[in-house]
Amino acid sequence: MRATGADTAPPPGPRGRQEWIAFMLGVLRLAEGIAFWLVAAPLLSMLPSRIAYRAACLRGDFMFWSWPDKRDEIMSNLRQVLGPELSEHEARLMARDVFRTRTCTIIDLMLTRGQARPLGKLVEIRGREHLDAALAGGKGAILCTPHIGSYICAHSLIHANGYPVTTIGRWWWHYPPGGFSVMLRMWDFVYARRVLRHRHRPNIEPWPGRFQVAVQAANVLYDNEVVTLCSDAPPLYAEMPRVIEVPFLGRQARLVPGVVPLAQLTGATVLITSIHRSPDYRHQVLEISPPVSMEGETAAALARCAAAMGAAIMASPVEWDFWYKMEDLARLGLLSDVIPSAVPVIEAN
Amino acid sequence: METIIDDYISIINDYISGELVQDASLLPLGRTTSLLETGVLDSLSALRLVVFVRERFGVMVDDVDLIPENFDSVDAICHYIRSRDVKGAAHAGNRG
Repeated sequence: MRATGADTAPPPGPRGRQEWIAFMLGVLRLAEGIAFWLVAAPLLSMLPSRIAYRAACLRGDFMFWSWPDKRDEIMSNLRQVLGPELSEHEARLMARDVFRTRTCTIIDLMLTRGQARPLGKLVEIRGREHLDAALAGGKGAILCTPHIGSYICAHSLIHANGYPVTTIGRWWWHYPPGGFSVMLRMWDFVYARRVLRHRHRPNIEPWPGRFQVAVQAANVLYDNEVVTLCSDAPPLYAEMPRVIEVPFLGRQARLVPGVVPLAQLTGATVLITSIHRSPDYRHQVLEISPPVSMEGETAAALARCAAAMGAAIMASPVEWDFWYKMEDLARLGLLSDVIPSAVPVIEAN
Repeated sequence: METIIDDYISIINDYISGELVQDASLLPLGRTTSLLETGVLDSLSALRLVVFVRERFGVMVDDVDLIPENFDSVDAICHYIRSRDVKGAAHAGNRG
């Protein structure tokens, strides 16, 4: 049966037309994203890095101009958290850089092929001696990392440099469970496959009801290996009862304190890891900090972690992942006038 | 055998009741009360319990043993410890 014009025409009225246009733009963005991940990024990563990262920046610029809703959301998030002293112009430049750096991280991931040498050539690792000293203690090391820049690739590089790395973290596309299976398979193919190549064990994925997660992490540490986790993640609704409010990015943030009891109960050393992109967008510096003391009360130890993570973020604020979404900042408690929704929302790049 | 299990139950129940139970209405804790459904055992309290079991009984809990059947109640935990104890003793006996 042939479709009539009424099947495809936008609903009548200006509001209906706007929603239809927004829907179609969303579909186009999704298609562009899939094509970039599946085809363009792998091809770009074969080119000289100067060209690949330049192209990534151009894609970032295109998204900045073609997605005004998201651009405005990022600018608003930046100004709400960093303060009104951030001018409209500065926020605009930062929002553009948010889009650029997010696309550059896709190229980074593609460059982790093989032994990750293509990416390794572009990243200087500082502070390896701190990780060596931690493992010499025999109780494992916890790399506590803010969601900044290519933090996932940073962990891959550390593994490629001979350290047995296991990550505590969720594959965002698997949560909440029950997603569209074709998309799950696509993300497993384009993303998880490339990350797990540089992990010693499968990811340990926390989720409400999974009581075994911390013990699994402890068993990794008892084997004197490296566990990575991100302590600046927005808490899930189910985690809200056990969050602790600590100073973070100049405000009081709600953080899940998991790193503290894990370190205290296992005796593992906690180091802060961060990775920052240079102004040419190609070269990066991966920094491993000296140990952060986990002694004393949980809140005090978590505050020390948060302070170190916050300092790493403020060294290059645009690279922090959570400017991208108001919901994430609200769940962290960084937007005082926004109430987070009850359902955890996890979004892809 | 029963005496050993009873000793285990007493030790484990005392530990969980004293250290892990946040909601006083759950006390006294029954031997078969579900620790997962009542929220007594979450990820970090499970780690505390496993560290206690390791220090008190010398039992290392492997990843494959981290299933609700082994940790859902005081009874289940004690039977798990006992089974690991027996396996450990048998292994030591074989080596000796």
